Amino acid sequence: MSMLVWITFLPLLGAIGIAFLPATNTRLLRQAALGVTSLVAVLGLFLWSSFDGSIAEPQHGFVRDWFTVALGAGDVPIRFALGVDGISILLVVLTTILMPIVVLSSHGHIEHRVKEFFVWLLVMQAGMLGVFLSLDLVLFYFFWEVSLVPLYFIVGIWGGERRLYATIKFFLYTVAGSLVMLVGMIALIYGLQSSDLMDLIGRTGELPVATQTWIFFSFALAFAIKVPVLPFHTWLADAHTEAPTSGSVLLAGVLLKMGTYGLLRFGIQLFPGMAVSYSSVFLVLGALGIVYGAFLAMAQTDLKRLVACSSVSHLGFVVLGLFALTEPGIRGAVLQMVNHGLSTGLLFLLVGMLYERTHTRMLDRFGGIATVMPLYAIFFVFTVLSSAGLPGLNGFVGEYMILAGTFEASPLWAAVGVTGVIFGAVYLLMATRRVLFGALVHDANKKLADINAREIGIMLPLCVLCIWIGVQPNTFLDKTAGSLDALAKRVEQERIDQERGQAIGRIEFDAPSATTEGEESR
Amino acid sequence: MNAYIEQMGLIAPELVLTALSLFVLTWDLLKKGRNSDHIGYATLVGLAVTGWLLLQQWGMLGDKGTQTAFGMVTIDRFGTFFKLFTVGSMAVVTLFVMLDKNERKHGIGEYYFLLIGASIGAFFMVSTNNLLLLMLGLELLSLASYSLAGFHKGSKRSAEAALKYIVFGGLSAGVMLYGISLLYGLTGTLDLGLMGHAPEGSGAVSLATQFDASPIPVAIAVVLVLAGFAYKVSVVPFHFWTPDVYEGAPTPVTTFLAVGSKAAGFAALLRFVGALFLTDGVDASIVAYGDRIGFLLAILAAITMTLGNLSALRQGSLKRMLAYSSIAHAGYVLMGAASMTSEGFAAAMFYLAAYYCMNLGAFGFLIYFEGVTGKDDIDSLKGMGWRHPVVAWSMVVFLVALTGLPPTVGFYGKLILFYAAIDAGLAWLVIIAAINSVISLFYYFRVAKSMFLTEPVPQVPMRQHGLAGILCVLAVVTVLAGLGAFKDPLRGWADEGPASLEIYATDAGSR
Repeated sequence: MSMLVWITFLPLLGAIGIAFLPATNTRLLRQAALGVTSLVAVLGLFLWSSFDGSIAEPQHGFVRDWFTVALGAGDVPIRFALGVDGISILLVVLTTILMPIVVLSSHGHIEHRVKEFFVWLLVMQAGMLGVFLSLDLVLFYFFWEVSLVPLYFIVGIWGGERRLYATIKFFLYTVAGSLVMLVGMIALIYGLQSSDLMDLIGRTGELPVATQTWIFFSFALAFAIKVPVLPFHTWLADAHTEAPTSGSVLLAGVLLKMGTYGLLRFGIQLFPGMAVSYSSVFLVLGALGIVYGAFLAMAQTDLKRLVACSSVSHLGFVVLGLFALTEPGIRGAVLQMVNHGLSTGLLFLLVGMLYERTHTRMLDRFGGIATVMPLYAIFFVFTVLSSAGLPGLNGFVGEYMILAGTFEASPLWAAVGVTGVIFGAVYLLMATRRVLFGALVHDANKKLADINAREIGIMLPLCVLCIWIGVQPNTFLDKTAGSLDALAKRVEQERIDQERGQAIGRIEFDAPSATTEGEESR
Repeated sequence: MNAYIEQMGLIAPELVLTALSLFVLTWDLLKKGRNSDHIGYATLVGLAVTGWLLLQQWGMLGDKGTQTAFGMVTIDRFGTFFKLFTVGSMAVVTLFVMLDKNERKHGIGEYYFLLIGASIGAFFMVSTNNLLLLMLGLELLSLASYSLAGFHKGSKRSAEAALKYIVFGGLSAGVMLYGISLLYGLTGTLDLGLMGHAPEGSGAVSLATQFDASPIPVAIAVVLVLAGFAYKVSVVPFHFWTPDVYEGAPTPVTTFLAVGSKAAGFAALLRFVGALFLTDGVDASIVAYGDRIGFLLAILAAITMTLGNLSALRQGSLKRMLAYSSIAHAGYVLMGAASMTSEGFAAAMFYLAAYYCMNLGAFGFLIYFEGVTGKDDIDSLKGMGWRHPVVAWSMVVFLVALTGLPPTVGFYGKLILFYAAIDAGLAWLVIIAAINSVISLFYYFRVAKSMFLTEPVPQVPMRQHGLAGILCVLAVVTVLAGLGAFKDPLRGWADEGPASLEIYATDAGSR
């Protein structure tokens, strides 16, 4: 059996196993969860080392027949197809190695109903990995929904004070999006008589343009809600703020990437023509998201909410880079997905550590923390700089590539994006000043214990990765090279075709044969 | 004489059930109302025998094709599917009655008798092409249901439920009979097959001929009959009885009404629509009219699911919420009928099978929880999740399935319904159904929220292992079927239904 099957289903088996352990022995439960997630992480590293970045096609494929549906002219086989390519490899590995850290980080704040927590956490991991690995539309949808229910319980049971409101809001937003996607998906499968992603890529041009357009937008809506792209971002601030620390790390680290991954896989790769036609819509939304998210973050008085809003801004960069539709833009966006997972994950961990000690997240309750918690301060400043895009750390590489790629496509929106870098530095450094520096005015803060070895141990691997990406990004970029180069070329070809098609359309307006010829060449 | 015995053999399941009902009634009289659980066990044994006979019949039908007994009872796989469905739901309902803490343990023999009576009605209703027998079956089912709804004689709500049910039921039966009499007058036959396609010399006139001559009476007759079925499956605007009856009736009875009775109603509806408009040999003119009927059903489906879901949002009582949710699900199933294709019919049948698992489970949870708290409002579920974890997590599975999310059979059922509807060119209906699923998510997960996300209120811990076991099994089946464990047999069985109705398989291009 393929390694991918193990990676996807080991967490699920672990969840079933943990469900049978005694609920009272939390130590055993933590060890079991850590064991399972570490094993998956090791598998993830094996996958990483055996993955050849120069190949564009999916690797480690695993295909079995699942069921068939009678649709239109014949039976459409729905297959259980897994595979990994340059688009998904970074996210898969990120998911596997982030998970042990999430389990370890739950130590401080998940004290009741520990068993249920780990069961849901592992089910969620299986769902997320399945989303990144599926090469079949129906299977993708299956995992997409499987990853949804666990978060409902994770936020709803172990969350903060306003958790009920936050969970319902998050759940309704995402399900609304995904059901619209389901309709589009069925229409696509119906139209092309296939549910095999690799087969569908390259064939979507066969559909009438109007059908393509609405299917494309039904997909884009679901992913835009998940990312979240600007008008749909309100669920994120609530869900992030109310989730327990480990839930927030998972949300920021992986779950939101399902949205950007979807935009890339099912937006750009599946519908290159539509992506070219409507790229400006996403460029505008991405750029506005960067600026608006930054302004939101500046206005926050709650540290965790500030980090949540900064996510909106950072993911705006990813959307901008993706829909610049240039090679550096797309590659930078894929790298930036990982960067955001690392930096924002670290920020949430840091906020959580502070919250466990002070039981508040209000910025005005802090100040001068650096004097009592020097080690904490070091990590905090490091993370802030990585998130703000300091050269030498991960954020810089991603943001630079995205902005360079966007400039090629549209200098205007690149300029707007650049302002986001400045605003990002503003709110992050402002937060640093208010938390770490200044006078230690609150008496309660004078006796805070500095971070312990476990907490350092959780953060160190992430910090190492941040530096690694900042100094030697090629380690990671090379793995994505094959697939993303091929994708960028295809999109470029599509753009040229469309421009030529329009030119032909203008010259020979009355000759329909010219346009069909243009379509055939796709 | 031999032929007579042979035909008796064909209706053996019905005969067993009839004998069982009489046995149950006399035994209860002889025992003078002492412990009624024995009668429950006897019922279960009788149902098991019936189920076994039906499985034999299923196999036999595969070899020999559709059979007719006494010129009226049509034995085909479509009917047998629904009979098995009825027996299956009856068995679970019987267990619910036996395990219901709020039910007396003595002197309730007639409870079982009435339930079996209702099943016999359902049996004849789903396996006949003759409108007269169909009406008789429907009336037998209805009369038994009326008495069952009012079974708690002392309770005002139960009495109210029975009265409301009988008034609405009587009215709709009258409407339907009027429609049937018009059809009889138009075609000169009560046989649905002849109405759809009357060969030379049969003495009947096919509906298509009459439609060409005078379309309006045909339209009126068909719509009136459909109204009768719509009442049975509680499709808007014939749904007004549903919430009150479901709420007032004893919960096991509600379960039977929501699952067994509704499925029988759908079976009759599918058979009626299929025989008149979709079978081989019907004229083109009536097929065109059938498409209009399909459009009518699609509109009804859209209104039904939307109204059911929106009303369910505001309910404080779990029982009433499930009542509205069952209205909404009637809308989903109706999507399959509205597709007017054999795939659509098969999808509707598959969805009913999925609905069987998840709705029996949800009602079983309600019975469990009424046994613990004695109340049925969602707020008193607080913290149940932590006190009764097995039952509560099973309920979460049912809720996920009812919403139509993977990895449950509810998702799979909805998926093929959506496929069928898109195939039939009803994309707008699918979008409405998708939006409805989002709405339904809100109220279904209110239950989960109450169980798990709010702190428990102190209660006397009380366990009902029997019920918990049944729920657990149903939940496991719901998930396994969703993961595809039984999907091939189930899909196969559902596909057999329309095939045995001789509905020609359509592909999208030809119509």
